[in-house]
Amino acid sequence: MTMVMSCIEVELRKFFRSRVPLFTFLALLLVPFFGGFFMFVLKNPELAQSLGFISAKAQLIGSADWTSYLGLLAQSIAIGGLLVFGFVTSWIFGREFSDRTVNDLLALPTSRNAIVLAKFAVATFWCVFLTLMVLFAGLAAGTLVGLSGWSPQLFTKGIVVYFVCSTLTILLSTPVGFIASVGRGYLSPLGFMIFTLALGQIVAVTGRGHIFPWSIPAIFSGVIADSNILIEVPGVIIVLITSIAGLMGTTLWWTYADHA
Amino acid sequence: MEEAIKTIHLSKFYGETRAVDDLNLSVSRGEIFGFLGLNGSGKTTTIRTLLGLVKPSQGEAFLLGKKVVAGMTDIWRDVGYLVETPYSYPELTVEENLSVLLKLRGIKDHSRVKWIMQMLQLEKSAVKKAKHLSLGNAQRLGIAKALIHKPKIVLLEEPTNGLDPAGIVEVLELLKDLAENSGVTILISSHKLAEISRIATSIGIIHGGRLVTTIDTKGLESRLRKVLLVDGRHKSAMQSILANAGYEVKQKRINERSVLALEDERAVLVPEEIAAFLVHEGHPPTLLKVEREDLEAFFLRTIHEKGVYRDHGHELH
Repeated sequence: MTMVMSCIEVELRKFFRSRVPLFTFLALLLVPFFGGFFMFVLKNPELAQSLGFISAKAQLIGSADWTSYLGLLAQSIAIGGLLVFGFVTSWIFGREFSDRTVNDLLALPTSRNAIVLAKFAVATFWCVFLTLMVLFAGLAAGTLVGLSGWSPQLFTKGIVVYFVCSTLTILLSTPVGFIASVGRGYLSPLGFMIFTLALGQIVAVTGRGHIFPWSIPAIFSGVIADSNILIEVPGVIIVLITSIAGLMGTTLWWTYADHA
Repeated sequence: MEEAIKTIHLSKFYGETRAVDDLNLSVSRGEIFGFLGLNGSGKTTTIRTLLGLVKPSQGEAFLLGKKVVAGMTDIWRDVGYLVETPYSYPELTVEENLSVLLKLRGIKDHSRVKWIMQMLQLEKSAVKKAKHLSLGNAQRLGIAKALIHKPKIVLLEEPTNGLDPAGIVEVLELLKDLAENSGVTILISSHKLAEISRIATSIGIIHGGRLVTTIDTKGLESRLRKVLLVDGRHKSAMQSILANAGYEVKQKRINERSVLALEDERAVLVPEEIAAFLVHEGHPPTLLKVEREDLEAFFLRTIHEKGVYRDHGHELH
């Protein structure tokens, strides 16, 4: 356990000395910013038109209330999170290969498993932080805009959906770590993320999204509007199994693969 | 003496390519073993196998008597290494790179960072980010990472790459001191025999994945070929006279001029007899010099004489 903590400390230092935290922070800060802005436009269409934010002929769909806004945050984290959380994981693993520093990690008194766990722990820590940041910044933006329809029940439901979506999305980062390790860099995991994101949308449209891990957070968030598909416990289990497979695959690969 | 590094019939195949082929290596404790070979000869694969980074296709590797297997951890407390070009975390400073490694090695004594920086003259670059280091200092940092935990075995690949002549001497002296005074076993892989022979106690030459020969550096001098160089005004006549006297005479180019070269032991051992003979024959030499084969030439000759040559997986003899 001490070695895992040491590894986490090292990984945290490496991570926070890079620019990845700043870039990912700014990238996800766009979610509450644009979400709040969109709600503002919905609430004040005439003002938005007079300020030139939207065209006078534009048709605005939706309503400026907390139900829509919390849904929008959950949908954004389900889609954007898949990319940003995946990027964080791909960087944490892929950089060791791109910067060719991986050799320093492979013949140490610290087990390779501890190093892999520490990397996932740091990735998870940062993704959770980003999730909370988006939520709190989003709530602040919603309050500033003065959205209507707030109630404790609605808020609780919205927060639960948001956290379930975030958790499912974070869980789906582990296969990215595996792809980054096997692909020895950033390129393969980035391709993998874009591929799974696109495939997730296609599979969801075909009605099989409830069994495809990368469709599940988006369906749960409601971004894919299909009333026939419901995400229940089996869907969560599928994501969990995918996540565990990603974690195990990465650990086994680091331990037993040839690092030529 | 107990072996610090040992391989038994070690082989690593990549498809049809035999990167390492039935390698039997034995390095005693406290020895500096020069592991020499051309690019692609199998040096890196051997070192990676010794470090457990690559699984052998056949055979076994042992460090300090323990078999190297994937996922082992204990043995690495006593092993330091530098594989290929040294790379460090670019966004971390020299000091941070070293302290990060120290932490991963489970060593709490942070004074080791200052100690190793002092030893490798990295103090002035302590707060410099690794991405801003010169090639020489990046190399020093790589060596520092290999030595910071005071290992019993050090495996170094091309440790003097990028260092200036003074840096090369300094690093070689440091390694020699570690072996002689601290009993550290050092395996240095390189393709520069002249450099390695200055500190190595023995040298192994690898070619085509096979250990071609192992030489005790004390006996290296006797294995270097000597040649008597002769020049004079009538070179062709001198060549005929010497050939008629039973000497094998070749022509060799030195500084863009051709001279006669006699490898015959009689000529090399008693050159004054050749001089007297040529004077007697009316062709006094203007040059008479015994030249020793340089180490690089010896290295290449050894590979050519004893090596099994491979070209795209086909064996050529």
